[in-house]
Amino acid sequence: MQINEPLTQQIREHAHRLLDGGEVECVIGYEIGPRGRARPAFVYGPTEVDRLIWGADCVHNLTTYLHDKKKPRKRGEEPPRVAVVVKPCDSRTLNILLAERQIARERVVAIGVACEGVVGKDGQPAAKCSRCTDRTPVVYDVLVGEPPEIPPVEDDWSDLARIEEMSPAERLSFWLREFDRCIRCYACRQVCPGCYCTTCMFERDDGLWVDAAIDVPQKHVFHLGRALHLAGRCVECDECERVCPMDLPLSLLNRLLVREVEALYGHRAGREETLTPLVFELGPEGSPI
Amino acid sequence: MRFTTLDGLRRWLDKLAEEVDLVAPTDVDGHVLYRPVQSADAILFDYERPELSAKDFLFPATEVLLRIEQKGKDVAIEEVLPDRKQVLFGIRPCDAHGLAVIDALFLEQDPPDRYYRHHRERTVLVGMACLQMWEGCFCTSMGGGPMDTTHLDVLIRPSEGGYFLQPVTPKGVAILEGLPVEEPKGEPPSVKEYNEPVPVVPPEKWRPLFNDRIWMRHGERCLSCRICTYVCPTCRCFDVTDRVVDVQPGLTRIERIRVWDACTSPNYRRVAGGHNPRPTKPDRLRNRFYCKFCYYPEDFGPLGCVGCGRCIVACPVDVDITEVMQDVAKQT
Repeated sequence: MQINEPLTQQIREHAHRLLDGGEVECVIGYEIGPRGRARPAFVYGPTEVDRLIWGADCVHNLTTYLHDKKKPRKRGEEPPRVAVVVKPCDSRTLNILLAERQIARERVVAIGVACEGVVGKDGQPAAKCSRCTDRTPVVYDVLVGEPPEIPPVEDDWSDLARIEEMSPAERLSFWLREFDRCIRCYACRQVCPGCYCTTCMFERDDGLWVDAAIDVPQKHVFHLGRALHLAGRCVECDECERVCPMDLPLSLLNRLLVREVEALYGHRAGREETLTPLVFELGPEGSPI
Repeated sequence: MRFTTLDGLRRWLDKLAEEVDLVAPTDVDGHVLYRPVQSADAILFDYERPELSAKDFLFPATEVLLRIEQKGKDVAIEEVLPDRKQVLFGIRPCDAHGLAVIDALFLEQDPPDRYYRHHRERTVLVGMACLQMWEGCFCTSMGGGPMDTTHLDVLIRPSEGGYFLQPVTPKGVAILEGLPVEEPKGEPPSVKEYNEPVPVVPPEKWRPLFNDRIWMRHGERCLSCRICTYVCPTCRCFDVTDRVVDVQPGLTRIERIRVWDACTSPNYRRVAGGHNPRPTKPDRLRNRFYCKFCYYPEDFGPLGCVGCGRCIVACPVDVDITEVMQDVAKQT
């Protein structure tokens, strides 16, 4: 893989400073595995920061690991303070997690990366990057790199065209064919920073909606349910689609809902620290706050 | 050793498809997967390692065990067992090795697993040799090999002019009876390229490493999904549940199903009262490796890994079983 040396160096310097000064317990970044693949890395000491790298293969959205850092290590202690490397798309997740009170702002140091785009499974520029207009993260504490001058491209939703040309019956058969390949491994759910229920409703022992069978009806309900639970919350990092071993086009489901929510509420998830308009908190009088 | 051309092989398979449940490697929307086929037209003859193992056809991801029908006070229970003969064509030697590993628990313990035994008895394993090792493959380190015949009924070796078929068992001899045989053209091929071997540490040397920091290092990035266990030819954990499939006035139909389960999943080890003795990702990932290299061989005999490399290629966060094995070897 291609390593971006200047950005790698800057990330290591920030990681060293944060760990050496005791500002954070852990830096979540990227390293290279023995097979040359980029992967998430957890660095706990200043002597280990040389493991960290940056390059176009650093596609993973590392904010999903913040859920593992929410609990204190010992009862009575504060949860650990951690640093996390974020691309612009990943940083939108931080806004979701902050708005949903999953993390406290002061417990996270966001090392933002000015992003030129990352590559997808096929080694080509990732689809999500072709429509991304953010050159710097929307939330960060320190920024590495210079924002590249890439002209913004308007999201024309052209990826959804192939679905929209279909009749309802054709759409159903398209999706059932896709869901048929699903192996119900839950990788899409597990990787998603927005999927953090302690017990997933599709995996309950007493589940009323789906039973445990790995068959098309259960997979159908799971995938539609998963997408709906992310309506107005999905930041389009496309991690669910990347991790799918059967290449289900899950971003199509997500983006159909993204467009609906934007059209109805003018809301695009993660741009600001706000909750999805599809959920609201009830005040004392039972009315939305 | 018998020899036939691609055309001969196809004619034989077309005939088989009429008589048995035939399963073979197919192209499913760009993925190489074993699937039931109706004729040779759907079968891939030149393919890499299929992305999922063949265990699904002996230990199905979802299997109906019992059908229960309740009418008033009358309850009728029917056991569900398919009776047609099944031929798994084109499986890789590692797939057959994986079944031999599962046999140690499901067949060789008392009592054996009734359903698995039934599938095993009705199935003939016709393997296709690998002419090379694929990305992540390390079968040669686990006692197998790209042309290993040990656990197969027939091994096929593709060559330039056709296919060399070697019956290994009486079942294999019988299934080849209808094969149109020709004069061999050329010699049977050999393996072009081997991957680097991986060190295998014996079970007793794993025990002292239970609290080693390598589990945190490998497990912390794990997503706790089920990909590695579901693509694995030896992972065999399951769950059993009942589901209501039909309710009418005076009549309820229920199915008892068995479905795959995965020790990497957060819910897997949860017990009554909600306690979970493997609460974190490293706890769970460690269990997966200990099962393969320590618990399973100690309890049932064979190592729980055949070196097929599928989990390495499929893992979205680069958890690599060979890297773990090397780290364990370094510590011992």
